[in-house]
Amino acid sequence: MKKHVLSLIVLLMPLSVLAAPPQQPKAEGIESPNYVWNADKGEKKEILKLKGNAERGKEAYQGCQGCHKPTGAGIPDGTYPQLAGQHASVLIKQMADTREGRRDNPKMFPFAGKHVVTPQEIADIAVYLQNMKIPRDNGKGPGNALALGKDLYSKDCLTCHGDNGEGNAGKFYPVLAGQHFKYLAREIRDIRDGRRRNANPKMVKVVKDYTGAEAEAVADYMSRLLMPERAAEK
Amino acid sequence: MKQFTIAAIILGGMAADSAVAAPPKGDAEKGKQIVSQICTACHGLDGNGTDPTNPEFPKIAGKQPEYLLKQLKDFKAGKRKSDIMSGIVSGLSPDDMTNLAVYFAAQKSKPSVQKNPELVESGKKFYAEGSPDSGVPACSGCHLPDASGTDKYPHLAGQHAAYVFQQLKRFASGERDNDRGLVMQSLAMRMSEQEMKAVSEYIMGMK
Repeated sequence: MKKHVLSLIVLLMPLSVLAAPPQQPKAEGIESPNYVWNADKGEKKEILKLKGNAERGKEAYQGCQGCHKPTGAGIPDGTYPQLAGQHASVLIKQMADTREGRRDNPKMFPFAGKHVVTPQEIADIAVYLQNMKIPRDNGKGPGNALALGKDLYSKDCLTCHGDNGEGNAGKFYPVLAGQHFKYLAREIRDIRDGRRRNANPKMVKVVKDYTGAEAEAVADYMSRLLMPERAAEK
Repeated sequence: MKQFTIAAIILGGMAADSAVAAPPKGDAEKGKQIVSQICTACHGLDGNGTDPTNPEFPKIAGKQPEYLLKQLKDFKAGKRKSDIMSGIVSGLSPDDMTNLAVYFAAQKSKPSVQKNPELVESGKKFYAEGSPDSGVPACSGCHLPDASGTDKYPHLAGQHAAYVFQQLKRFASGERDNDRGLVMQSLAMRMSEQEMKAVSEYIMGMK
């Protein structure tokens, strides 16, 4: 009798296993000797081949705006970064890195994984966001070390991220202008300390000796950069 | 001839696929006849639910037809579990379900009376902002600020608090898992019971 009950339980077990939200996978990142930054492969490569459509992107973005807000501005405390006006290429790379598990973000993953957003939708969302105006009321720093921030920026950041924090779409260097101070400071620290596993090793080298105060000073300076508006793509 | 038949089948298949994206078309009058027989006791003839305190009697008036049809199909396929609804839908044909979805979608959702107004303020904040600390997106992102929803995310305004609360609990426990990409499940798991109660109360008062 007991045996029957047991086998019945075993039989029923698969039925009682509840569907759980998918967990973020883990891909090799900067901690691995085989890591190649921005390797020309994977989902990023596939999505970059697709033609994004801003109108469709607006609809697909609904699933993102609960956190990143309808304006794309995120929130000034930096929990959710500002996305409006970001290069489509950068957005696509970061989404692909998150989906493949090279950029750790277990909070975001359930809302951004392959089970929720298609590659075409990512291409669409990227154009939609790139066309948006960069807000000017982003979170800024305390403003007490802007001279140091400017020095550091000119010496360490300007070559790649540009005079006005405009980044470089072709090289996948992000726009910094209009980004929240707290998000910038957190990412610099995470890149310095190896927590941001999809980081560019060149940048890790640049910031590796930054103190916390230096990271905040340069983040504060960056958060105040203004870049010219770009022409919208269809 | 054979070639034509194959072409017709392919074309027919394509039409069926494209019909998935378009709102379902059905006969609301035929739907109403079914409602008067098997739905009205719980959901009411106008779909506003006959007892706001009973979580098994949700308001379904004015919801998107896409959503209503999906839920009916999911009940029938066992993808959404309910002892009551599984019995009710067992006798319905695909056409019946489409007609019901079209009928209830065309009904007007009536305002509800809030029972716990003290929860409304925190519920309103949660609806608009979610919880950045625990990583819950704002409800307003998908369901829209006025909770009118879209073809992908259902209308919620005025839904009975008892039902919303029960569904959030079921998403959180995984008992309800017929949501697209398990998005609702993912976020409900991160909500406290107090947040669920507050947001349910706020939604009930939305028009």
